[in-house]
Amino acid sequence: MTAPAPLLEVHGLVKDYPGVRALDGVDLTVTAGQVHCVVGQNGAGKSTLIKCVTGVVVPTGGTISIEGRPLPPGDPGAALARGVAAIYQELDLVDDLTVLDNLFLGHELRRGLVLDRRAAHRRASELLRRLGHGDIGPRTLAGDLAPAAKQVVSVARALTRDARLLIMDEPSAVLGGDEVETMFGVVRRLTAAGVGVIYISHRLEEVASIGDTITVLRDGHTAATGLPPATPRAELIAAMVGRPFTEMFPDRNGDRELGPAVLRVEHATRRPAVDDVSFEVHAGEIVGLAGMVGSGRTELLRLVAGLDGRDSGSVIVDGRPLPAGRPDLAVRAGIGLAPEERKSQGLWPGWDLVRNVSVADLRRFRRRALLDRRAERAATAAQLRELGTTPADPERLVDELSGGNQQKVVLARWLLRRCRVLLLDEPTRGVDVGAKSEIYRVVRTLAASGKAVVMVSSELAELVGLCDRIVVMADGRVRAELAGPTATEADILAHALHPTGAAAP
Amino acid sequence: MTSPGPTGVAAAPDAATPGAPAPASRAWRRIRLQEAALPVVVVLLLVAGALADRDAFLTRDNLLTVLTQASVTGVVAIGMTFVIASGGIDLSVGSMLAAASIAGGLVSDQQSLPFMLGAIGFGLLLGLVNGVAIAYGRIVPFIATLAMFAGARGLALWMSDKTPISLLRLDVVRDIGRGDVVGVPKAALVFLAVTAIGWVVLNRTRYGRHVVAVGGNREAARMAGIRPRVVVASVYALSGLCVGIAAVLLSGRLGSASPVSGNLLELDAIAAVVIGGTSLAGGRATIVGTFLGVVTFGLVFNLLNLLDMPAELQQLTKGVIILGAAALQRRDR
Repeated sequence: MTAPAPLLEVHGLVKDYPGVRALDGVDLTVTAGQVHCVVGQNGAGKSTLIKCVTGVVVPTGGTISIEGRPLPPGDPGAALARGVAAIYQELDLVDDLTVLDNLFLGHELRRGLVLDRRAAHRRASELLRRLGHGDIGPRTLAGDLAPAAKQVVSVARALTRDARLLIMDEPSAVLGGDEVETMFGVVRRLTAAGVGVIYISHRLEEVASIGDTITVLRDGHTAATGLPPATPRAELIAAMVGRPFTEMFPDRNGDRELGPAVLRVEHATRRPAVDDVSFEVHAGEIVGLAGMVGSGRTELLRLVAGLDGRDSGSVIVDGRPLPAGRPDLAVRAGIGLAPEERKSQGLWPGWDLVRNVSVADLRRFRRRALLDRRAERAATAAQLRELGTTPADPERLVDELSGGNQQKVVLARWLLRRCRVLLLDEPTRGVDVGAKSEIYRVVRTLAASGKAVVMVSSELAELVGLCDRIVVMADGRVRAELAGPTATEADILAHALHPTGAAAP
Repeated sequence: MTSPGPTGVAAAPDAATPGAPAPASRAWRRIRLQEAALPVVVVLLLVAGALADRDAFLTRDNLLTVLTQASVTGVVAIGMTFVIASGGIDLSVGSMLAAASIAGGLVSDQQSLPFMLGAIGFGLLLGLVNGVAIAYGRIVPFIATLAMFAGARGLALWMSDKTPISLLRLDVVRDIGRGDVVGVPKAALVFLAVTAIGWVVLNRTRYGRHVVAVGGNREAARMAGIRPRVVVASVYALSGLCVGIAAVLLSGRLGSASPVSGNLLELDAIAAVVIGGTSLAGGRATIVGTFLGVVTFGLVFNLLNLLDMPAELQQLTKGVIILGAAALQRRDR
């Protein structure tokens, strides 16, 4: 058996941006039929690497070869023609078009001048079936599909162009635990058919379960490559951060006295997402909300924050019930929500940090009807410094910050407002490993200072490492309540996946 | 008000400048291309006017005339800035102006105060109808104000029986429209005052910040405890209020209330706001820009008049300016 040329061979890839060297000698070899995982912190060079391979940017140095033949640099058309396709984190389907139209967008099947819809339909059905998703109708509007189904369509679209190297950038970011499995199924079918996959993810558990081999990028160069999927998590993280990974989660504060119950949720119901949920959170306590996507966690937070109405039940803060559907009164009562969709729901892109932080509490900067902008700036700057936001310059635009620092901006807003209850929805989503532990530290500190914290997370390790108590939801109901220090990821999963109420402890 | 001060929501155009920039360079960083461009355009227009006809153009009287003629559009454009900042649009200002003038004329009983209260009050009322329809009736701004565009014009014609109402005996109103204080026309002063108040409200009050917050990201605003519906309803009422004030200025200048006045006013007002740099998508607004936009159109109009250019050319020039400003805005992104 002669060794064929590898599907993709990247050698000594260098990319300089003005003042920054984004890639500093990256080596990567992808074999056909394998899933090659690439991990690394934000800024390690993953995106730049992809852009070089897809021809979107021109590398400064180094070579990229597909099946032994060099790829002309900076030519997206050539990359596409040689079978390189990328699927980005932000799904780029057109919501108002059908699945069919999305699949062939830009290279429609034609007969003469008119579209050959019948042939397109046939090919679309066949492709979706090949991916194990014949259930997705080619005539469905893309906007009506669940995120997982959209991803399947994105993959199918790559296949309509005969992709042989598929690059997936954080494909699971928009998916829930069960949906990730669906996507893995698709990926396995692809590799079985000889497609090579570059799989980029923050979630190391996924890397372990889907990858055939792992490359770690750090500061623009290959820190390690050819690692087996069984590589221990701590070793991977160590390679990513360049120092031994010792402590991700801050120490628990030990046996401290919990304050009174600040937030009480009683029989809260909003069908079908939330069904008779009760729990309470004390001052100084971090309560985790675990569950699969669709289990009602986000909807529960929105209900507590007064954003959505409820069918029945009550939300009580400091003994006083909150009316439904009045987020302004919830904020006034001391509730602050850091939404999962930070950019679209939590921030004002194009605004500086000062305005982004002060927006929920402008009242306190009012001097005779006018805003005292000096006081506003000073107070927000102090708040941002306290959270260790970088850059600390409050006049920076919020768009210029990394995900972790943007999250801190949202937190700073609620701290400035002196809120009593913090609702965090996936607070570390899209945040790199180093910044994650920063967020954990901040959340702990906030709880220690007497805030009641409710945290939704899909990363079980995060819940186990951080929370005092974990409420597990499934199908809109509470399935279990576990003590944080003793809970294991397996415990949580067992309850979250249990379809009936029989799993109560 | 003629110097481009900090416009509050100004955004730095360039990406990260590493290190701690000196205050001066930071200030520079914050000046967007287009914000710098409009004052330059105004200066160029002044220079062009001076070169073309020094004696007639660059005189105090002529420049004050420009300001006075622009005052009606200007006052309306300030209200429009708030509407557009909130992410909306108000197509009904011209029709509302006619209806407000007629309503004032009908209740005036040949006296100034009832006229002014009637005109301003009716403008406010019609604006509030827009606001409630949009915020609480959930009708998109374009459609709701399009309905008011048609409806208020009909109302004005019907209430007036299609005839203008003479206001020649309303001395105070006439004086506001045509009189002056130490040589400065009162209409121009009203425009300047409305601009100044608009600037303070937009940039220095909690309300102004809430308007821009709702326009920039309505969902985030709601989560931050702001009540978007109240804010949205209020900006249309504010626009109606400005229309009422403009109705007093125009009626005073003309000496009558006409049911056909205010034609195409909405286009002039929106154009001034947009070339000023306020984002049609909401979330970014500048009163100084709107003021300069109004002045730019006023100067062009005046200059072409002095040069005896036909009216068609003025329209054409206006079109070119709008397109140029829009192109600059794109480059800023």
